[in-house]
Amino acid sequence: MSANTNTSKNLGKSYPRIDAADKVSGRIQYASDIYLPGMLMCKVLKSPKVHARIVRIDTSRAEQLPGVRAIITGKDVPDAYFGNGAVHDKRILARDKVRYMGEPIAAVAAVDEITAHEALELIDVTYTDLPAVTDPLDAMRPDAPLVHDNLPSYRGFAEGMGGNICTTLSNDRGDVDAAFAQADHIFEDTFRSQGINQGYLEAMACVANVDPSGRIHVWTSTQAPYQIRATLATVVDCPLSRLRIIPMEMGGGFGAKLRLCVEAYPVLLSMRTGKPVKLIATREETFTLSGFRLPTIVYLKTGVMQDGKIVAREAISIFDMGAHLGAGVQSGVSHTLGPYNIPNFRMRSYAVYTNKIWAGSYRASGVADVTFAVESHADIVARKLGMDPWEFRKRNAFQKGDLAIQGGTIPTNGLHETMDAIKTHMALPRKSEAGTGIGLAMCQWRSGSGPSTASVSIQEDGTVSLLTGSVDITGTDTVFAQIAAETLGIEVSQVVVAKRDTDLAPFTGPSGGSRITYSQGKAVQMATEAAKAQLVVLAAGLLDAQPQMLTCADGGVHVTDDPDKRVSLAQLARHSVATSGPIIGTASLSAMPFAPIFSTQAAEVKVDRETGNVRILRFAQAQDVGTAINPMAIEGQIDGGVVQGIGRAMSEEVVIQDGEILNPSLTTYLMPMAADVPTIENILVEVPSEDGPFGARAVAEPPGFGPPAAIANAIEDAVGVRLKTLPLSADKVLQALRGEAVAAANIDPELLQRLRR
Amino acid sequence: MSTKHVLSTTVNGEPYEVLVEPFCSLLDMLRDTLQLTGTKKGCDEGDCGACTVIIDNKTVTACMILALDVQDKAITTVEGLAQDRELHAVQAAFVEHGGVQCGFCTPGLIMSGVGLLRENPNPTEADVRFAIGGNLCRCTGYSRVVKAVLAAAEHTRG
Amino acid sequence: MNRFEYREARTLDEAVETLSQEDGGRLVAGATDVLIRWRQGAWKPRYVLNIKRIPGLDEVQYSPAEGLRLGAMVKVRTLEQHPLIRQHYPALTQAAAAFAGVQIRNLATVGGNVCNASPAGDTLPALLAYDAVCHLAGPGGARVLPLADFFRGPSQTALQPAELLVELRLPPPLPGTGALYIKHSPRSTMDIATAGVASVVSLAGEVCQQVRIVLGALAPTVIRVPDAEALLTGHAPDAERLQQAAQMAMAAARPIDDIRSTAAHRRAIVRPLVQRTLYYAVQMAQGTALSFDTQRGLAVEAVF
Repeated sequence: MSANTNTSKNLGKSYPRIDAADKVSGRIQYASDIYLPGMLMCKVLKSPKVHARIVRIDTSRAEQLPGVRAIITGKDVPDAYFGNGAVHDKRILARDKVRYMGEPIAAVAAVDEITAHEALELIDVTYTDLPAVTDPLDAMRPDAPLVHDNLPSYRGFAEGMGGNICTTLSNDRGDVDAAFAQADHIFEDTFRSQGINQGYLEAMACVANVDPSGRIHVWTSTQAPYQIRATLATVVDCPLSRLRIIPMEMGGGFGAKLRLCVEAYPVLLSMRTGKPVKLIATREETFTLSGFRLPTIVYLKTGVMQDGKIVAREAISIFDMGAHLGAGVQSGVSHTLGPYNIPNFRMRSYAVYTNKIWAGSYRASGVADVTFAVESHADIVARKLGMDPWEFRKRNAFQKGDLAIQGGTIPTNGLHETMDAIKTHMALPRKSEAGTGIGLAMCQWRSGSGPSTASVSIQEDGTVSLLTGSVDITGTDTVFAQIAAETLGIEVSQVVVAKRDTDLAPFTGPSGGSRITYSQGKAVQMATEAAKAQLVVLAAGLLDAQPQMLTCADGGVHVTDDPDKRVSLAQLARHSVATSGPIIGTASLSAMPFAPIFSTQAAEVKVDRETGNVRILRFAQAQDVGTAINPMAIEGQIDGGVVQGIGRAMSEEVVIQDGEILNPSLTTYLMPMAADVPTIENILVEVPSEDGPFGARAVAEPPGFGPPAAIANAIEDAVGVRLKTLPLSADKVLQALRGEAVAAANIDPELLQRLRR
Repeated sequence: MSTKHVLSTTVNGEPYEVLVEPFCSLLDMLRDTLQLTGTKKGCDEGDCGACTVIIDNKTVTACMILALDVQDKAITTVEGLAQDRELHAVQAAFVEHGGVQCGFCTPGLIMSGVGLLRENPNPTEADVRFAIGGNLCRCTGYSRVVKAVLAAAEHTRG
Repeated sequence: MNRFEYREARTLDEAVETLSQEDGGRLVAGATDVLIRWRQGAWKPRYVLNIKRIPGLDEVQYSPAEGLRLGAMVKVRTLEQHPLIRQHYPALTQAAAAFAGVQIRNLATVGGNVCNASPAGDTLPALLAYDAVCHLAGPGGARVLPLADFFRGPSQTALQPAELLVELRLPPPLPGTGALYIKHSPRSTMDIATAGVASVVSLAGEVCQQVRIVLGALAPTVIRVPDAEALLTGHAPDAERLQQAAQMAMAAARPIDDIRSTAAHRRAIVRPLVQRTLYYAVQMAQGTALSFDTQRGLAVEAVF
């Protein structure tokens, strides 16, 4: 409990999610639950080729199938490029070339799904194969086939791009070579992490309907309605204002739905047919129509003194980006220090094009891969120094005021409190019984920033209507209601959080990157404060007192020293209509100051020496949440993130061979089920942030970063073997136990030298 | 073209007579024909449990059943759990204990919880985890779901 | 994904007749495997034949003299929960507990699992270890076939055109019998076995009277390991002998590399899985009672 939550009626209270009742009764609507009269079903034809030129597309047979209403191919849509990021290297439908297996070639609208499916089989496409490149290290060679032979012509083409390199990032500080020369010890390790699918349970779904006036209504599963709108305007070639995006309840996104997914196809087909068109992606298409995380290689070199102080760090990261710029390369220059104060560093991060679907976003993309490397390496270094892993981390962990990697200094934070909390909770250091072990990992992230707006209006009965443009994923609507209620001194039940669309609410940033509570919540607080100020001014007039002598509490405004002199919010609202006008408080902000998030995790495992099985006995985390506005919601977020991390650690892997995804199915892409994980042990540390609403920090993404390293470290503690590739499957553990070589992870030294430039 | 058949079935106590195609799954019939969209499609291959319904007191995945195979049978979906507008104990427990986040797995999970408690009113934590072992959730990490089912069990035992 | 027709049979004869006279048909039992393959485009039946309404196909009968009769339509969930199966054929119960998830167990049938003939089918090692016999019905009448002869290869059975599996019969277990099935896979539910072993041991006094060791997902079909069985038969099951038998079983395995695992790993775990299933089978044969919870935990490797 922090000072903020101790005496508050609304903060620190585990209110159930305000949409929970609708969800448990099955009433809440997701995009696939929309049925409109005359609605057609859409399916997308995907390329069976990894890299090929399109010679001819013949849709004539498909067009003649009864029940088919429209078919579009690349030549039927505007000649527009768009992108997931700075570089615009994508088209909605392939024109001359396909660059990955699964790339969309055509889209069909038909009376039902089976007809649409039959139509796809009747579309004849002729290809000429092109040499493909599917390994990022191969793609970096000067003689590699080019994924984008017209790369320099793309909007956003910049320095550091060329060949198959789509991004080069650097970050340097101090004199790393001199520091290595003076270090007592130098350690190098290379780590590889695997392809990971976001695993959202609701596959992409969208309904588009063009109304008679030409406005295009799009009901879709998305994290980013305004961003979708802008991209659609480009690819459909229509004014932004013609598009209305209605974000439906979203059944998980985790980054996959931060950008345009499948919306363009129903939109274009609705424009053609004049009918509503619906697309529901299959589970297979969550691997083939939407990008996910691709494998990563992280090389670390650390210079350390005998007493455990880290003096130098070099990091080289290679991100397989797939056929289009996606997410993650930034983490190679922002998170390769870990939460440690290292004065000298050199970081290089490369994103490389290959002939695969693009590397989509997944929860602080890349940071989980980098954290696996950094926190595994920390244990390796500690053990080689003969130091206790917790002590080694403690020796180097950030203090307030240390230089932050992105510039500026580290503000107030609870990193050390989380370390101490885990040490106590797990009774470290502890000698475990044979075959069991404990491993640590520390996670770091930042509370997300970005444009945020909110408006609050006071209804005639004194209740509040709150409008923001943000999509509620993590229960933020409930948190907003708590923030507004706390600010105004009313009950949470008296706050109505409006359902929004892009016509209704002003522009706001996407729901992702851990930004909604921190930034959007701040806007909510500011908007409520603005409304409160107006209320107080009105009350001052009615109560004949100075505004600064008034308190807003218990559904009214009263004179602080004379509580009987009171007027209710309802009275003020009614009064306002006739005098100043209805009360509306608004807020708009574009960025929030840096507020770090830190956590310390511990995994306790049991390893079966004869089969390689690893059982997670316990998993605990202490996280600095700033102020726990809703502890139950926060714990739920942390539980979910940890289990995603456990999946990454133990069993998840998208297997891609020569550009073909071998396991685009839940039968063979294995996410944790309930019997695979223990109850997660949560410790919420509260060191309020300097700027967040009531001191809150972001929460949701970091818990998924640590489990792979925590478990790999626990395995070493248990049975003395070190795995440097993910997942930590039974066969790898057993191989390591038997002293057999596990798949080599290191990068060729010559390439490494080139990459450190 | 294939022949449509008449399907007579009872869903949540209501009798229905509808025309369905032979290859139509129970899941698609519930959603597309009856517009009972509470039951969700997560994978259409029996791997995620989002489409769990109850037939003859047994939990089953509706995507793995042909609609015509429920001829003359009675089905309960999530929409049929609340009585007189009052949530079922399992539903209420999910709300109270934070077992709901994005909500997409929720109907299926709740049906599995209801199915468990009908067979075993006093489950252990392990019993709960295995009973919901066919329901994938990506948001909650299962801790609060398990807590909710155990709380509902305790509440129901009274 | 083609548009198939739907047929129903009310008697066995009707089923055989329909399958004989109308080609391109596929039996639908639980519908789980059929629907998956149909959606993938692997199977394009002209029609599906529902046999769920044929009376008697889902019955379980047990007597100490005759043993167990399992109708082909008996659900896997029934194998898990039926008290007589739990008591007398625990490896079947354990296999069922390790099979997918509850929802699929409520749909999948033992006959469907057998006729699907996946090398990794969970119920198959236990059925073979209990000497199951298949009772078939077809245009040529009824016939009987030991389960070992029923499997011809991955997804290949001895079923003739228009022939159905009607029933499985398992002989009564000898007194002093214990059994354990262990399924090796990454998760505790929902997985297809990477490898599976079922061992059934019957003791007469201190000595093994009968031993069955069956490997699953380790060869094109489930297979017994007769020389490892022979090593134990007639001897006391001491730790060293169990180890030797387990070591022998490794040589019998013919595993492959696939999306789930490598041949090398599969071969490496044969020994511990055989040794452990034998160990616990002996324990149970000697009278140690293992709770269902413990049996399930061992079967899915939650406990080791």
